Amino acid sequence: MTRVMLTLLAILLAAPAAAHHVGAYVPKDNAVTINFKQVKFSVQARKFDVALRLFETGALRAEMRAHAATLPAGLEDGTRAALAASDGPEVERRLMIFFAALARDLALEADRRLAEAGGTAESRAATGRKFLEAIWRYYNLVDFAVATRDNKTSVAIRLAFDEAETYVKPATGAAAPADPARLRPPLQRIAQVLSALIEVTPTQARRDS
Amino acid sequence: MTVAAEPHHWRVPPRWVLLVAVLSIACAEVAGASMARFKVELTRWARDAMLARPAVHGLVGVRDVDERILDEALVKFDAGLRLYHMHAEGMGLVIIATTMVAATVARAGVARRVIIALLTTGGAGYPVGYLVWSALIPAYGLERAKTIAEWLVWIPFGSATIVALWWLTGLIALRMIRP
Repeated sequence: MTRVMLTLLAILLAAPAAAHHVGAYVPKDNAVTINFKQVKFSVQARKFDVALRLFETGALRAEMRAHAATLPAGLEDGTRAALAASDGPEVERRLMIFFAALARDLALEADRRLAEAGGTAESRAATGRKFLEAIWRYYNLVDFAVATRDNKTSVAIRLAFDEAETYVKPATGAAAPADPARLRPPLQRIAQVLSALIEVTPTQARRDS
Repeated sequence: MTVAAEPHHWRVPPRWVLLVAVLSIACAEVAGASMARFKVELTRWARDAMLARPAVHGLVGVRDVDERILDEALVKFDAGLRLYHMHAEGMGLVIIATTMVAATVARAGVARRVIIALLTTGGAGYPVGYLVWSALIPAYGLERAKTIAEWLVWIPFGSATIVALWWLTGLIALRMIRP
C-alpha cells in the first residue's frame, strides 16, 4: 500500500515534466509588408521624397511587377506618380488596391485548392487555416483604408473571414471538428467582394456610418 | 551570546557525477559556439530538409502561405538549439549542486545512490531533448518532433530530476526534524 502511494506521489510530483518551455513564435513581417509600412509611415509624416525612394527600391514595387497580370493596369505607375505629386490619399488608395488584390488572389487560390479532391479533413482544414492567415495578413494592413472608403465592404470581408475561421478551427472539447468543405463559400465571398472593391474604388474617402 | 556553528562537512559527489556535469557544460559551450559559427549552414540545411518534405510541414506551394510556415519552423529549430545550450549549461551546475547536497544529507546507502543517479541522469539527459527536438523538426514537423522528444527524453529525464529533487527535499526536511 505504501509503495503504491509512493508511486502515485512520484507520478504526481513528476507531472510537471510533461510541460516544458519550447519558445514562442511571433509572426514576422515579410519584405512586402515591411516596405508597405515604411512607405505608409513616410507618407503620414509627409516625407514624400523618402516614401518615393523606399517605394522605388523596395519589395512593394517588385511585388507589384510580379503580380502585374492580376492587378489593375497602371497601378505601379500611378502609385509612383501619386508619391511624386505628394498625394497621400491617392497613394493610400493604390496601396489598398494592391493588398486587396493580393488577398483576393490568395482567396481564389485557397478555393481552388479546396475544390481539389484528396487529403483528410484535418489536412484540408490546416491548408485552409494557413491560407486564411495569409489573406488576413495582407488584408489587415488596408482594412482601415477600406473601411473609410466603403465600410460595407470591410464588414462583408470581416464577416466572411469570421465564418471561414469557424470551419477550420481544430476540435477542442465540445467544439465541432473542422469542416473544410464549408470553407469554400466564405472564401468565394471574400474574393468577390475584394474584386468589386478593386474594380470600383472611389478616389474620394467616404463614410457610410 | 555565542552560537556554536554547526560543523558542515560537505561531501563531494562521486567522480562520474562530476564528469557528467562538466561534460554537459562543455557540450553546451561547444553547441553555443557551433550555433553561432554555423548559423547560416544550419538554417540552410533545415530549410532544404523542410522543402524536401512539403507534406510533413503542410507547405502548399504558395509563397505567401509557405514563408510563414517555414519561418515558424526555422525559429523553433533555432530555439531548440538555444534552449539546449542554456539548459545544458544550467543543468550541469544543478547536477553538481544537488548531488553535493544529496551526498552530504542522505545517509550512505541505496537512497543516496538512487537520488544521485536520478539527479545526474535526469539533469544531463533533459537538455538533450531540445537537441533532439531541433534535429527532428525538419524531418517530422513541429508537433511530431515535439511529441517524439517529449516521450523519448523530456518526460523520462525531467521526471527523474523532479522525483529526485522532491525526494531530496523530503530528506532534508526529515534531517531538520530528526538530525
